[in-house]
Amino acid sequence: MRDRVAIAGVGYTELSKNSGVSTLTLACRAIVAALEDAGIRPEEVDGLATHRVGDSVLPPVLAHSLGIRDLHWYLDLFGGGSVSHAVVGQAALAIDAGIADTVVCYRAINARSEFRMGGIGRPLVDAVETQYQAPYGYFAPPQQFAMAARAHMLRYGTTHEQLGAVAVTQRSHAVHNERALQRKPITLEDYLASRWVVEPFRLFDCCLETDGAVALVLTSAERARDLRRRPVLIRAASWGSGFTLYSNQQPDPTTTAAAAMAKRLWSQAGLGPGDVDVAELYDCFTYTVLVQLEDYGFCKKGEGGPFAASGATRLGGSLPVNTHGGFLCEGYVHGLNHVCEAVSQLRGDAGARQVEGAEVALSTSQPGYVSGNTSALVLRRGP
Amino acid sequence: MSDAAPPKPLPHPDRDSQPFWAGLRERELRVQRCLGCQALRWPPRAICNRCRGFGFEWIALSGRGRIVSWVRTHQVFAPAWRDDVPYDVVQVALDEQQDLQLIGRLDGAAPERDLRVRARFRQVDEGVTLLHWEAERD
Repeated sequence: MRDRVAIAGVGYTELSKNSGVSTLTLACRAIVAALEDAGIRPEEVDGLATHRVGDSVLPPVLAHSLGIRDLHWYLDLFGGGSVSHAVVGQAALAIDAGIADTVVCYRAINARSEFRMGGIGRPLVDAVETQYQAPYGYFAPPQQFAMAARAHMLRYGTTHEQLGAVAVTQRSHAVHNERALQRKPITLEDYLASRWVVEPFRLFDCCLETDGAVALVLTSAERARDLRRRPVLIRAASWGSGFTLYSNQQPDPTTTAAAAMAKRLWSQAGLGPGDVDVAELYDCFTYTVLVQLEDYGFCKKGEGGPFAASGATRLGGSLPVNTHGGFLCEGYVHGLNHVCEAVSQLRGDAGARQVEGAEVALSTSQPGYVSGNTSALVLRRGP
Repeated sequence: MSDAAPPKPLPHPDRDSQPFWAGLRERELRVQRCLGCQALRWPPRAICNRCRGFGFEWIALSGRGRIVSWVRTHQVFAPAWRDDVPYDVVQVALDEQQDLQLIGRLDGAAPERDLRVRARFRQVDEGVTLLHWEAERD
């Protein structure tokens, strides 16, 4: 599949705290914007793919809304941030296999105004572990990721200041992103003064619950050459599954499912961490950036904190990370907005936050906490 | 005086976990042991993920372990915990097998690294007993 499928267009809705519209409306707006970006008419779409956790609109409903009468392929993947990149990878497989020609991948959520993650505003989700955790007041994502972050601090000496470096760095990137919900620069002192949410996480460790949608248009690399925008090639796509934090044979929460999967991803890409010019790493919380820097091989195990605090992940550093500000600052569209930002960087149209000469990008999903699974893409600048 | 906080959710045992919850009601921490390779497993399920054997028995553990991580919740994520914040939730590795790690509340002590703890069976009503932890004193 290497380099045979391209991302030909991306589209966004406004990101906000209250969209005031349905997830169907959000999805339609993002998809129409992505098709306009690519220069493809809606009637040419023959595939639709999304993921959701009972909180959004189904592909067939969108097909009806967009007037797609003969959907050749669709994917309605159950899952949260850990499967976002698998949606794109599986769409690429469908195109490469000749099942569909033009697939739109989308995610539309009202994650602040309607369906807050972790069960606030709706019944507690029905995961197998809920019965062993929720009665103790442990069910919200910040609690589950804080548990892993604490274990990492205990084992490797990771500090609050190193978590803070992620928050400060990403905010400095968001200053240059007109879509970002939080654009005012912060200092490490501001970070340390922000209120506790769940120790060891402060307010600025946590992403922004957001209403919004994004969409990406995929087609063959060959066809994409003749379209409106410079294509971005899918160099490699991988997904995988390990054990959740809470199952036997997974006693160490400081290494994620991404550590095993990354080896396959790099092998499939014929590239390694040293070839990556820009990385958009899943950042539901600051901690997941640190652990992924380790598990994708950008630094040694346990050194994600010092690596982030060194300034390497800033614009101008050796590996700029989350150039749009990430979920912490741009907004949380559950994963696919990271892919859109990677596309923008590889096209070279990221404006003031452009990484000079970016040729190869890594974009990742949630590295496997709670869900046990993860997914990621290596993308390359097309001809 | 404001109204009382709404009740906390109680566990909904499934067909795999009923013996675990029955064990807590009888003040025992029970897990499954594989009849093939003798490995203990958590959470409850039909098959052993080491030897793939379906045979198992429920055994009572010592209820002792150590704290491997913890979080202190300040934000009220749901109204039922409005009067509890801040509160500590701990992850405990059980003495019998270190990869069995359970979530629970720690009572009467501040969590710290490797703190030795033992199970406390906290009866909520006739049908439900929850697993809490307390520091082990010699």
